[in-house]
Amino acid sequence: MKLDRRSFLSFVIGGAAGTAVTPLPWKLMDDVSIWSQMWPWTPVPADGAYTYVQSTCTLCPGGCGIAVRKVDKRVVKIEGMAGHPVNDGGICPLGLSGPQMLYSPTRVAGPLKRIGKRGEGKWAKISWDEAVAEVAAKLSDLRESGHPEQLAVFNGAGRGTFSALVDRFMTVYGSPNLVRPATFEDAYEMAVYRMHGQQAMVGFDLENANFVISFGSGVIDGWGSPVRMIRAKSLWKDRKVPLVQVEPRLSNTAAKADRWLPIRPGTEAALALGLANVILSEGLFDRNFVDYYTNGFEAWRKMVLDGFTPEKVAGITGVDKDFIVVLARDFAKAGAGVAICGRGRGATPGGLDEAMAVHSLNALVGAINRKGGVWTLPGNEEVNWPEVETDETAANGMQRPRLDGAGSGTFADARSLPNRFFAAQADGKADPVKALLVMEGNPLYTQPGTETVKKALDRLDLLVSFSSLMDETAAYADLILPNHLYLERYEDVAVATGMATTVIGLAQPVVPPQCNTRHAGDVVLALASAIGGPVADAFGWDGFQACLEETLADDWDALTEKGYVVHVAQPSHWSEAFPTASGRFEFAGGYQPVPIEGDKGAFPLVLVPYDSLRLATGPAANTPFMTKTVGDEVLKGKDVFVEVNPQTAGSAGLGEGQAAVLSTPRGQARVRIHLSEGIMPGLVAMPGGLGHTAYDDYLAGKGVNVNALIGPVEDPASGLDAAWGIQAKLAKA
Amino acid sequence: MEMNAKQHKYGMVIDLDKCTGCGACMVACMAENNVPFKKDESDNKRDSITWMRVFKVSNDKPYPEADICYLPRPCMHCEGHDGHSPCVSVCPATATDYSQETGVVSQIYTRCFGCRYCMAACPYHARYFNWWDPVWPEGMEKYLSPNVSPRMRGVVEKCSFCFHRYQLAMEKAHYEGRAELEEQEYQPACVQACPAGAIVFGDLNNPEHRVTRIVEPDPHHHFTGHSKKALRLLEQLGTNPKVYYLTERQWVRKALDQYNFGSQAAAH
Amino acid sequence: MSTKDDHGHAVSGDTADKKGGATILLFFILGFAASLAIGWGVFPKLLYSTKPQPFNFDHALHNREVGDCESCHFFREDGTFSGVPTLAQCTDCHADVMGETEDEAIFVNEYVAKEREVPWYVYSRQPDCVFFSHAAHVVKAKMTCESCHGDIGTSTSLKPYQENRITGYSRDIWGYSIAGFKTHTYDRMKMDDCAECHEKAVGSVDRAPAPGVVSRHFRQEVVPAIYPLDRQAATGSSVQTRRDACFVCHK
Repeated sequence: MKLDRRSFLSFVIGGAAGTAVTPLPWKLMDDVSIWSQMWPWTPVPADGAYTYVQSTCTLCPGGCGIAVRKVDKRVVKIEGMAGHPVNDGGICPLGLSGPQMLYSPTRVAGPLKRIGKRGEGKWAKISWDEAVAEVAAKLSDLRESGHPEQLAVFNGAGRGTFSALVDRFMTVYGSPNLVRPATFEDAYEMAVYRMHGQQAMVGFDLENANFVISFGSGVIDGWGSPVRMIRAKSLWKDRKVPLVQVEPRLSNTAAKADRWLPIRPGTEAALALGLANVILSEGLFDRNFVDYYTNGFEAWRKMVLDGFTPEKVAGITGVDKDFIVVLARDFAKAGAGVAICGRGRGATPGGLDEAMAVHSLNALVGAINRKGGVWTLPGNEEVNWPEVETDETAANGMQRPRLDGAGSGTFADARSLPNRFFAAQADGKADPVKALLVMEGNPLYTQPGTETVKKALDRLDLLVSFSSLMDETAAYADLILPNHLYLERYEDVAVATGMATTVIGLAQPVVPPQCNTRHAGDVVLALASAIGGPVADAFGWDGFQACLEETLADDWDALTEKGYVVHVAQPSHWSEAFPTASGRFEFAGGYQPVPIEGDKGAFPLVLVPYDSLRLATGPAANTPFMTKTVGDEVLKGKDVFVEVNPQTAGSAGLGEGQAAVLSTPRGQARVRIHLSEGIMPGLVAMPGGLGHTAYDDYLAGKGVNVNALIGPVEDPASGLDAAWGIQAKLAKA
Repeated sequence: MEMNAKQHKYGMVIDLDKCTGCGACMVACMAENNVPFKKDESDNKRDSITWMRVFKVSNDKPYPEADICYLPRPCMHCEGHDGHSPCVSVCPATATDYSQETGVVSQIYTRCFGCRYCMAACPYHARYFNWWDPVWPEGMEKYLSPNVSPRMRGVVEKCSFCFHRYQLAMEKAHYEGRAELEEQEYQPACVQACPAGAIVFGDLNNPEHRVTRIVEPDPHHHFTGHSKKALRLLEQLGTNPKVYYLTERQWVRKALDQYNFGSQAAAH
Repeated sequence: MSTKDDHGHAVSGDTADKKGGATILLFFILGFAASLAIGWGVFPKLLYSTKPQPFNFDHALHNREVGDCESCHFFREDGTFSGVPTLAQCTDCHADVMGETEDEAIFVNEYVAKEREVPWYVYSRQPDCVFFSHAAHVVKAKMTCESCHGDIGTSTSLKPYQENRITGYSRDIWGYSIAGFKTHTYDRMKMDDCAECHEKAVGSVDRAPAPGVVSRHFRQEVVPAIYPLDRQAATGSSVQTRRDACFVCHK
């Protein structure tokens, strides 16, 4: 019996036949299908117990309540907190993106010390003890040299206990150079200070208004507390409350408004006064309020009647004069009309004349401290700590003028002027600061005029960032002392921006710290303790949490359980509402437009930034999810599109999608053209929030940072940045 | 094995006059449903997976008459004739299915073999193909939800009306001995997140539900909304979608009826 | 082996043919037998690798101590099922060594003391695409644990975990019979086994007829005509299969 060809074939056939009646082929087929349906490299998220933690979002000053969904110990989703007075279940794209920040590879894993050149990205890992000791040593040196004012802090945290702690630290350390980023609220507060005679925050009872004029405010594009504003807009629609949007570009707000009123940018204050003119001349103002509670009315009235007739205002603003009359009548007759200002998201303060003109317009119709109007609110009521005892060094330091000039001389009623701070530090004529601590901020990206900011930072001996993520400022720092992310720490948000009631929210640790981070509050306490003496004595707490619990005292239990408490503001009695010299509301202000930067001859166009809720412009940057929602007419590959009216583009020989070079006196950048009929000819609109150089490939290098092309322009009346654009030109690339 | 005799027909109505185009629905959907993302999602938006996509519609009028409107577009969960929606009818793999129990068009990723007939059949472009395996930046896979299975390369995916939320709500109902859900117990992530309250979701078979009261679907006329403001995309195709839109703006109604978003449509 | 001469006559004759035929048959049988041996005997052994559990667990003992399955495998308030207990649950009782077994010592020293979750191999682990609601089966349909999990509750030791080398899932899913035969409901846990039971349940439901003439006609006339054997299944909620819709058990 030998194995020849035929018997071999027979064996094979037998084998095949046999195999067919075994489970082998069928089972293999089944298993291979299962394998190919469930590739081992496709992640399988672990299941577990589902829980929610009630907390507060601190990614913007909006103060929304959030319900953080967890599966066992992981955060899987952030949802809006149902029933919360600010957002009632709604949430914005940034708030939804929290988990992508929490688990981002761009988080700073632990304290880092720069070993290469600034911004080179070479770091050495150091321990927390070393990090704190190094900063404390520099701070002690400055104090011992008798110049504590050479320490500056840039603090972007909201009005809460942490900020109060930083204030206290600076006072007892002896430096007046505490800088906060300025927003439209700064201009508003200054207007209120001059007209009401009190240092107060402003709140807008928009839910109860029945006619709203927005002077360029991005009502649904991120102004104030974004989710609350969108909710208010929906409420207006249900109640048929008209919204008139005054701005040169068809923003989302303009598109959703009942009337879009394109206006020459920068002339909004003139329009406000033009409306006041009609209201005055037709006698439509709130006589009761004007007669009993105001001062300076006659002079102001004469100024408005003489200088701002509808014809004149139409000439200044480009708005039809008949419509000015119609709008003024509708507004005044509505009974609960209110006007708001602060362009786009309100990230730049704008001219003081604007805030005052708009506030006067509100006063004229009696929309002050009444239902549907503008309210003044006290600041942080919760912080009632004992006065600090300072030593001589600190007292001397606090006597020295601030680098930004706020609080003295020309700008006596300003509290913080970041634009002037960085400009003064950069030009080096005044005594520069030597050390800067950056908390909850990223000025190297968010401040207009990034080149100036960079020059200012270059003049520092020590730049310390407390950022949780490797942002632009952190990447440029000498030391990074990373804070916990907001999902890992306690922090109170004292007042939600623009709300007419006081809502106090608490951010709570939802998960344990994912990196070797420390609460910035604890680091401030550790620094104080390391510096010693009266600086250490000013803080009696073991840690920030103890400080917070003591400060929030009665509210603590409610805050940890529910995530927020509401303090119903008791409206001040009219007799106490206006602590001015006259005891009355002071009509004041006029039209003093601040010219934007640049020569109209060399730069015939005007670049204006615009805001979108899909692009984060603040210290919290875009997440991959958010960038994914950005349209192809805004960002394609690495290129940002600028919106240009076809007429303007045509005269520059540019068409849809074409590459171009956009130049301003501050710099130039490669952009692409998006033709839009929704923008006034002569303007070039660019979105904020792009052009990051830090973070990872999901964000870095996409588009252009508009703050690199626009610089601040100082308002001589307030010292604040009044820039709303810059002269620019477009050329073929 | 739902032994409820009741048939549900879950549907949605989106108020386009309230929608602000903020994008929260898109991000809520991505976060809820483990939707993957790439380093560059801009180059060709057709490859960019967004179950809920917000289109920008323009009226194409010159300055200053220009106007825009945002159009959130989830899967329409077409009922067609008795559940024979365009995609379900063409699927050769039984990977997509219409449930008479809920009215939801399902997509079973492990069943799909990627022929993409359904994508060709869908007149709303609501279906997306996984051209790549999903990759999350290091560590970020920690936020993935166990309620929705992450997809692999080579399969089609789309909006499920957050069906896992129905599953979880029913689980709770079963546990508590209830056969029916309250209106608020089952709401998709986009509806929950929308700051404008522009999206209303519920059972179109239940006359008490808000969605039914707003739309007033007419069973004798192919479930067209009785409400004068309500309309559906490409109504004339007979796909019988369960997503309705509300708007008072005439130009928007016209654009929607043709699913034609003006000159800007292609770019989004 | 037969050969032919030029004229076509058989040379070797019948004997050679018979011998050749027998050889061929023999090889056929050899091949047949070998493949049977491989398919039924060797293949299952190669397909599965045996993985030891971290330590032994005595279900019978625990059942006696706590009285029922639900004490450890309980429903959470939201109706979800807790499944395999977490370390925190175990340490409610097992903060210190309770028994004298070696397994108890391993548990306390290796896991409780080090606060590590026990990496159990779970026999019933299903692929990620499966949605299974314990509440629907146990609370609503009043099924017993045994109908799917068998008599594990009375076992004193954990059987070896056999992992399918290709799929990575337990052998319990396909069942111990490599041919896929089963005698009990809990012998297999594949989709067909779910469907089998679901089909029976669906058939027993008097479902409200779908609206529309077309639909009724299609269901009552067309479907039974095309699929005469599928008559009973034609009441399910799925438009594609007339069974239960896919999203009932998938996610």
